[in-house]
Amino acid sequence: MEQFEGCPGSRMFEFKDKGAVDIEEATGKIESQLRQWPIQLHLISPLAPYYQGADVLLAADCVAFALGDFHRQYMQGKSIAIACPKLDEGQDIYVEKIKGWFEEAKINTLTVLIMQVPCCTGLINLAQQASLASQRKVPIKQVVVGVQGEILQEEWV
Amino acid sequence: MEAYLDKGIKEVIDQFPEVENILNEYQIGCAPCTVGTCVLKDIVDIHNLPANEEREMMARIARAIYPDKEIEIPQVKSEIEEKVREFTYSPPMRKLVDEHVLIKRWIALIPAVVKNLDVESDEGRQLILDGVEFIRYYADRYHHAKEEDILFKYFDDDLEILQVMYEDHKTGRNHVKTILEALERKDKATIAEHLTAYGELLTEHIKKEDEILYPWMDRNLSDTQIGELFSKFHETDEQIGYSPTKYEAFINRVEETFKQ
Repeated sequence: MEQFEGCPGSRMFEFKDKGAVDIEEATGKIESQLRQWPIQLHLISPLAPYYQGADVLLAADCVAFALGDFHRQYMQGKSIAIACPKLDEGQDIYVEKIKGWFEEAKINTLTVLIMQVPCCTGLINLAQQASLASQRKVPIKQVVVGVQGEILQEEWV
Repeated sequence: MEAYLDKGIKEVIDQFPEVENILNEYQIGCAPCTVGTCVLKDIVDIHNLPANEEREMMARIARAIYPDKEIEIPQVKSEIEEKVREFTYSPPMRKLVDEHVLIKRWIALIPAVVKNLDVESDEGRQLILDGVEFIRYYADRYHHAKEEDILFKYFDDDLEILQVMYEDHKTGRNHVKTILEALERKDKATIAEHLTAYGELLTEHIKKEDEILYPWMDRNLSDTQIGELFSKFHETDEQIGYSPTKYEAFINRVEETFKQ
């Protein structure tokens, strides 16, 4: 039997220094793709104009730190909100806000980016709860990011 | 070799029949295709084989075309990342695949309908008319219209694969027209022939869409386009003015009639 090592979401890892060889050379300043403020799910209004008919990205808090190419690969052209399904309180409010995106803002798609740790699937569950409660349905995509920034899974749910 | 990559597959197979067997081994079933004008390189690309299988297959095709020469194998695979191979249909594509289920249930009933064809009684004639209505209003207007009026518009209409799909839809409509004309004449043989041909056509057509066309389209559509398609399909269903449940009830009834 394997020894219990505690919550996978809080387990410690130290990644080896990837060194200059593995890091793709960035040329010039990398522009932010963020086109709105605020972004925390408790702070945003689902009725804000930048959500109307938009492709929306709902990212777990840790994703932007793990995914090296987050801005270029996932944020381009999208409106965003961030949340932590493990630590944030008032998650019933989150469900209502996501439902507001579906029904009021009439968003086009919702992409949920989560980390590979089990507790992060809570964010997908919130999106699915909102979808079930909503009269209007929207395609939801799930992207699972590994702790070293690799894309482990990308599929429509 | 490059010259053959740009040739229509029927032309290549006619010239080198072994190519058909090679494609079949890699589950690329071009042989029953009624058109066959898709060019070899598009066919290889659209099936999205793993890189090693694609290289192996291309090497075998090259040997079939040039048995006495060492040929450099051209790279066909597009820059789609390998990880995308394991995918699930996007919601709009899933909807089309789900709509195929009812059509496949009708196709499965065609042999029994043909075996029990009755053009004399009102009941027998009504079954044929109801079947034709199912094809016209569910398979064609409800389902194929979503493809022709919405989905295919996101791609270049001149693509050979789309031309094949349009041709299949047209052939299906011609079968239906012939069935109705034959029913007027009480011509059982013609009805049986064209109903059977319709079933065979749609079996291949649905297989091509489910396994090849829709996955390829999913790989080439952006998230924004997927969302648009989803909304447009939903709007079309709301505007069409009739419910598909009517046709599901028809299929249930015919299945019950011919239940063994």
